[in-house]
Amino acid sequence: MTVSRPSSDRLRVGLDAAVREFVREPINVALLVVLPPVVITSYESMLSAFPRLPYMTTDPGALGATAGTLFVAAFLPAVIGLFQVISAQRADERLSLAGFPELALFVSRLGAVCLATLLTAALSLGVLATTTEVESLALGFLTLAFVGGLYGLIGMLIGTVLPRELEGSLVLIFVVDVDEALASGVIATDAAATKLFPLHYPHEVFQAAVDGTAPAASDVLAAATYGAIVLVATFLVYTALAATGGGGG
Amino acid sequence: MTERIVGTERPESESEPTAGDRDVVLRGSDLAKTYSSRLPFGRSVEVLTGASVTIRRGEVVGIVGGNGSGKSTLMKILVGELDADEGTVDVNGRVGWCPQDELLYDRLTVEETFRLFGEAYGMDPTEIESARDRLAETLDFEEFLDYRIDRLSGGNRQKINLSIALMHDPDVLLLDEPYTGFDWETYLAFWDLTAALRERGTAVAIISHLINEQERFDRILELADGTLTDVTDEGSSQAGEEGVR
Repeated sequence: MTVSRPSSDRLRVGLDAAVREFVREPINVALLVVLPPVVITSYESMLSAFPRLPYMTTDPGALGATAGTLFVAAFLPAVIGLFQVISAQRADERLSLAGFPELALFVSRLGAVCLATLLTAALSLGVLATTTEVESLALGFLTLAFVGGLYGLIGMLIGTVLPRELEGSLVLIFVVDVDEALASGVIATDAAATKLFPLHYPHEVFQAAVDGTAPAASDVLAAATYGAIVLVATFLVYTALAATGGGGG
Repeated sequence: MTERIVGTERPESESEPTAGDRDVVLRGSDLAKTYSSRLPFGRSVEVLTGASVTIRRGEVVGIVGGNGSGKSTLMKILVGELDADEGTVDVNGRVGWCPQDELLYDRLTVEETFRLFGEAYGMDPTEIESARDRLAETLDFEEFLDYRIDRLSGGNRQKINLSIALMHDPDVLLLDEPYTGFDWETYLAFWDLTAALRERGTAVAIISHLINEQERFDRILELADGTLTDVTDEGSSQAGEEGVR
């Protein structure tokens, strides 16, 4: 009785289901709305108390607001990516065994993460714009959306290899916090290893958006390459571990 | 890793199937599975040590075994959720799987759940709607179609769990403790449904730690010490000890 269905139909139904699941959890939406202003203003007020150290290129308060914006734009999608994978892992396995393509399943999960990413990026940029003059809003938004997508994928990756909510969340908090602290210049370091962290290049591009300068092509290219590598790695690991194909149903 | 042969993928080296073989919809041969500890000095647990099972069209098979005997492991290997360390699984037709835990999406409605799994099975919207309505009427959950899964009672969730396994008209239906949470009416409806499936030629395998109505089964296999034994005529050791049959 079954016929071959176009994969676009499956993708649409899968994406629709993932988004519905996400928005029907009120705490998800509430956190997306509440956390950006809280985090950004907290970072700004905390760093405002810092003296302007010789290696700092901007005022500590403005630096805090920018760092808080990037932190929240990265962290929220990361946690959502983590929970997207963990909370539905066994049901996803059943769906995959029933014949749902792994690519469609991956894109469905990523779709819900992207929705959260766009919302967080817009809200974070809006909050930042109330305290700091952002010269290029379009570039700023694109960079924050990229950061959210990048860390959303990292959240999915961690959720796949470490399918535990508490431990996965702790790993993400630690990684995003250290990453942003190194990228923002709050800590003076020339260690080459800092360039391997996900936010290193996006931070440079975002700072250019805030300052109204043209971003360095090398930074944009490096960030895009980093994003492509993380996308491929997450897809491969997700399809190998999170969704198992088979002939059952 | 389990060698999994689906439909016509039979190796050329094998002889042509006999008439009896053509009725076989699912065969697991010499299945072995050991859960190894990932930590040093951890214990390995040998669950299956050469279990074989053959399920033919139109028969209802009960697989019984004590707690921890490996029933769910066997089921997962047969449906392809888990790989065996050794052995082969030969599938000839569509498989329906009703897992012991309701593996459903909590925040989707019943209708949305049918739509999603129907797409996975490759059914078109009309077929999905028809299967949904037929199963909702049979198992009496028509009034809950627009309810979210997490807002259903345990019994109703189990009905949806079962219906998802059935909606694509499988050739063999594998049920892991299927009637947990069913009320008496639903339990009877379940057996009516099973009888109708058997009539249509669908094979049904039910895994349970208790089988208390032996006459409903064509065969009963007992899983003990990692292997399966046909105990249809002699009564299982577990049944003898626990007085369940």
